[in-house]
Amino acid sequence: MSQFDIQFTFNGETISAISGQSVGAALLAAKQRTLRKTRFNQKGRGVFCGIGVCFDCLVVIDGASNQRACITEVISGMKVQTQVGTNA
Amino acid sequence: MKNPDAIVIGAGVVGACCALSLTNAGLKVLIIDRGPVASGTTGAGEGNILVSDKGPGAELTLAIRSRDLWFDINTDIGGGFELEAKGGVVVSRSAKGISDLKKLSVLQKENGVEVIELDGAGLRKIEPYLSESVEYGVLYPGDAQCQPMLAAAQIIRAVKKRGGSFIQGENVIAINSNAGSLIGITTDKNNYSCPIVINATGTWAGEIAKLAGSHLPIMPRRGFILVTAPAPKIVHHKVYDADYVANVASSDADLQSSAVVEGTASGTILIGASRERVGFKADLDISILRQLARQAISLFPVLSSIGLLRAYRGFRPYAPDHLPVIGEDANISGLWHAAGHEGAGIGLSPATGELITAQITNQSTFIDPTPFSPKRFQGSEYVAV
Amino acid sequence: MHNVVIVGGGPAGLSAALTAAVAGAPVLLLDSNPRLGGQYWRTPADNFGDQNENHFDLATGLKLINSVKAQSNIQVLSGAQIWSASHKDGVSTLRVIYQGSEKIINTGNLILATGAYDRSLPFPGWDIPGVMTPGGVQSLIKGHGVVAGKRVVVAGSGPFLLPVAAGLVKSGADVVELLEANKSWRWASSILVLLENLSKIKEGFYYIEAISKGKVRARFGQAVVGAYAGENGELESVDIAKIDRNFKIKKVRNIKCDVAAIGWGFTADTSLAGALGCKQVVAKDESVVVLIDSKQQTSITGVFAAGEITGIGGSELSMIEGEIAGKSAAKFVGCAVDISRSDLIIRAKKQRFAAALIKAYPIKSGWRSWLDEQTVLCRCEEVDLADLKDSIVELGATDSRTAKLLTRCGMGLCQGRICGRFVVDLVADQLNISPTDIDRIAAVSRPIITPIPLGVLAAGE
Repeated sequence: MSQFDIQFTFNGETISAISGQSVGAALLAAKQRTLRKTRFNQKGRGVFCGIGVCFDCLVVIDGASNQRACITEVISGMKVQTQVGTNA
Repeated sequence: MKNPDAIVIGAGVVGACCALSLTNAGLKVLIIDRGPVASGTTGAGEGNILVSDKGPGAELTLAIRSRDLWFDINTDIGGGFELEAKGGVVVSRSAKGISDLKKLSVLQKENGVEVIELDGAGLRKIEPYLSESVEYGVLYPGDAQCQPMLAAAQIIRAVKKRGGSFIQGENVIAINSNAGSLIGITTDKNNYSCPIVINATGTWAGEIAKLAGSHLPIMPRRGFILVTAPAPKIVHHKVYDADYVANVASSDADLQSSAVVEGTASGTILIGASRERVGFKADLDISILRQLARQAISLFPVLSSIGLLRAYRGFRPYAPDHLPVIGEDANISGLWHAAGHEGAGIGLSPATGELITAQITNQSTFIDPTPFSPKRFQGSEYVAV
Repeated sequence: MHNVVIVGGGPAGLSAALTAAVAGAPVLLLDSNPRLGGQYWRTPADNFGDQNENHFDLATGLKLINSVKAQSNIQVLSGAQIWSASHKDGVSTLRVIYQGSEKIINTGNLILATGAYDRSLPFPGWDIPGVMTPGGVQSLIKGHGVVAGKRVVVAGSGPFLLPVAAGLVKSGADVVELLEANKSWRWASSILVLLENLSKIKEGFYYIEAISKGKVRARFGQAVVGAYAGENGELESVDIAKIDRNFKIKKVRNIKCDVAAIGWGFTADTSLAGALGCKQVVAKDESVVVLIDSKQQTSITGVFAAGEITGIGGSELSMIEGEIAGKSAAKFVGCAVDISRSDLIIRAKKQRFAAALIKAYPIKSGWRSWLDEQTVLCRCEEVDLADLKDSIVELGATDSRTAKLLTRCGMGLCQGRICGRFVVDLVADQLNISPTDIDRIAAVSRPIITPIPLGVLAAGE
């Protein structure tokens, strides 16, 4: 198994990851399971399908909302945030 | 339903409003559609309720009345169709466009439309993401929006609760009359006897008229609407380019498009509007989608990063003189037409229903109905393209 | 213009690419993933080292991937997302988002191998973080070296639950329950099919052995019918029910877990085929698949299809279908190659196995009784069962399209990929009718296959 070699932040908190991992995988490894809050009922959601189909793991990455955590490769220094609704 | 007082053919928003108005006047109404509720042009619309896109004349009077009636209906049936008095903003970026818009808004004001002129700073105060290139616009607080499918469905629900009924999946194949008076209709499944029938079949109204031996030159004008992924609140009003007004009034068959951008209650952003006369052509024309995207981004550059999720296609029912057809048939008494509202069908529906009901029940009308009469096409040699 | 364009880099697409290229046809292979292999042979980046442990037979996959890479007449575009496609006068046009901009690819010879994804069924709590698909759990292990949780319930129906449970055990997770909704005797009528597909039995035993190391025992006739969140809003426990043969609940118990991996077989992703205008049909398992002839050609001449989109059947059927499609496409462009008798025999054998799978793992309508009024159906637009019923009872919807437009059910970002299939069933259920094939096919129609940024759309020609 590879070792952590990069770092990024989730809601300001530093998270370690292995290059090549997806944002969603790295967050799950760090026990972060709630990635967004839905826009009508503010319910927590996380990785569901894991392969880019369901759009449930949406996060804000470097200011851009609606990014699928499960298929976006994590990059050193990325700023990832919980997406609340449409992130208005 | 046995022996209805009136039959409305068409479960779009025009048919729904006619049915509600007749029901509220005490008639027992049966609505018949060959498909489900709002499965024609209503289901493909943005839900425009506009007073801003019409010059002075009978249609503007109808629009102003209809806009107020929408809010009455909202109260009457208990809402449920996302009616919102959001206001419209018309902008222009060319010297000629600005001068035309100024002239139009002065005339509209004289006819009772509330207009507020805005400069660049004023525009960006109410639409913070509007392009810096826009320096002139007019705010129309009277413009509103609703979710048209829900509007039709909620109104029909109210009609049913008040004693009316709705039958779907029946295709009207004959209009039956006796000595020039309507006696009923025949569908592919049933016969109905009834002294009053309202043809509210929109783009397909000409076919029903034909069954009665009448000529109603209503044709489709295709339009696309782009729907984005749910987005933050970027667009607060219905914002559109002044060219839109010119395109609405145009009779050109070629593709025309001008930016119309607005947010919805569900968070999506709707982008229109293209117009072309290509019959009922159903394909998804990518070049039109690109043009609409370009025009929308030129008004709101921030839209560039928002995802396109769907594209709707609809067929606006238009008459050669671009006026709706509201009134009694030229040949058969008891047969009424309420169709041909082009892209303004949602907005004009309540007033259409009121106008039809007032004439059927021999009440006074709020406007002289002559300009909308189907009799205006009598003897016309208009050939459909 | 490339001679053969292939969409999908899984078992079917890779086999098609290699076969067509070896036959002499230049190939352009488009894949949406960053690395070839598809869901079945999903691998992480090279820095993760040897991955054989995580797979039953990665060697076959790596050999195929390496052969494709080594083949000088195959060009691979990884990370290519097709957002729109059309077909006119013998030419298919694919509009592709690649590295942030749009690329237009026109071809007269196309092979579709777009694969499948987990089929989900709704139940109260299935939207709580921690409830996942087995494919999602699997992709985290295979593709990212991450185990989704510590105490995992694996449930649903179908043979795919086995490799997922095995993968979890090997990765050190505690698989607290492995639940198959159907009974094992359902295989009895398919013994002969099993015997002619010994490789499948071998694969099955490989997983069972791995699972038994984790002291996991599979239970049959049981399902997860409810999920509960803790104070943090994340999964804390699930309700497990003994169910009858129609999936109706008999008896419920609750068990603590932090992940529930629940899947009910697969749904083919035929969006691209549908956009091109290929004829789709409803298969025995009520999924919508692409209609093909014996040469793997779709209803459009020069457009071929292979793998899961022609019917769910697993990697071996996908590979032989890919080979046949590769030969057909190569022949179509003038290469001297023919489908052999043995190709057809192997495919027929694998097809019999696929048919046996459908028979052994039926999804019975009793799942609909697990839902309550507040159960979310459309995860994207947060439409629940009460909303759907309201659109039918109060607003007069009499078909799933109208119900969808009135409720927004299936109109969110995933475009109904998760809920579309079961909403058709729920609407029909409310109306007391059976869904038509037209309803089912309409539910998977997505003219815009994946969202495209307006800026990218605007910049296109």
